[in-house]
Amino acid sequence: MQELKQKLTANIKAAYPEIKEKDYPGNRLDFTVDKQYLVSILTYLKESLGYIHLSHIACVDWLEEGEFEVIFILWSPEEKLKVFLRVRVDRENPVMPNVDMIWRQANTYEREMREMFGIQFEGLEAPEEFVLEDWQGPPPMRRDFDTESYANETFFHRPGREDALDVREEIIKRSREEIPDFAKKYSR
Amino acid sequence: MINDKNTQKLVDVIQNWARKHSIWVLAYGTGCGAIEIPPTMTSRYDAERLGVRGAATPRQADVLLITGYLTTKTLKRVIRVYEQMQDPKYVIGFGSCTINGGMYYDSYNTIKVLDKYLPVDVYINGCMPRPEAVLAGFGKLQELIAAGKADGAKKYKENLDWYRENQKRIIPNWVMPDYNW
Repeated sequence: MQELKQKLTANIKAAYPEIKEKDYPGNRLDFTVDKQYLVSILTYLKESLGYIHLSHIACVDWLEEGEFEVIFILWSPEEKLKVFLRVRVDRENPVMPNVDMIWRQANTYEREMREMFGIQFEGLEAPEEFVLEDWQGPPPMRRDFDTESYANETFFHRPGREDALDVREEIIKRSREEIPDFAKKYSR
Repeated sequence: MINDKNTQKLVDVIQNWARKHSIWVLAYGTGCGAIEIPPTMTSRYDAERLGVRGAATPRQADVLLITGYLTTKTLKRVIRVYEQMQDPKYVIGFGSCTINGGMYYDSYNTIKVLDKYLPVDVYINGCMPRPEAVLAGFGKLQELIAAGKADGAKKYKENLDWYRENQKRIIPNWVMPDYNW
């Protein structure tokens, strides 16, 4: 397997010298590419190197660094290797190239990322709404979206009873036991 | 003779007695609560001995059983289903999620208090309520029907504007038909 991995890394390095690779144990390879090479490198992996299966497209919100990271996970049924391809986009103006002409199913992932993270894909042909219906707030999967305060503003809230007791403390008071250390942070 | 007050009272008592023993349920399986319905209906707890059984469509049902959390998307469908049902009709809110949001209290897409959007006759609390609790809830509903106090549908008609206002806060693009019961 190591030979296959080295061969693949050498192949990709020869075509795209700027690529940054990171080795992981097992059958996993990890590359970080620039946004402008994304479509050509995905086409190269699919057409020439046999990575025909798109397993997943994931998105990570790096709030502190001000960037989104979009991760394409590819699989080769012949070489039995997984390739993770990472692309970073700016968080303020997230625009990505559209890849659904390479894999048609990428369209669904892109629609979901557009709705949940607000990433725009150039030339994506799909209806505006995907899962959320009549959504008015900011994209909900961004880390700076506060779900609790949004829910309290949008939906009705039923206040709890005034005579409600803390269950954990009440049980301890009755059975005269100590709260274990790991449980202290959960009580009021 | 029929318009006589005492006769009407007698008719009501007979009607309520009949309604109480024939509760056809439209189990709207919105959340995880739907998993408690099969044990309630099958031989061990056998809800049919109380006259509780499933209905195929909203127009044949008496009770709308809302089992669990309601997302803003599902709420739209539930309102439409409820308005299609014919009188007499009742709503049972099932599980903590319909009462105060339950474990989805901070979800961006789940409503928390069901009775602001639909008139709820009986709440069954618990996460999940066991089949015994479900049967107790149906027993309570039967008591209310027999006493003539299960008047959620009447409340809904009288305060329709208030309910609509709350519903339209969640559903801004209102493209639903108006039913004139």
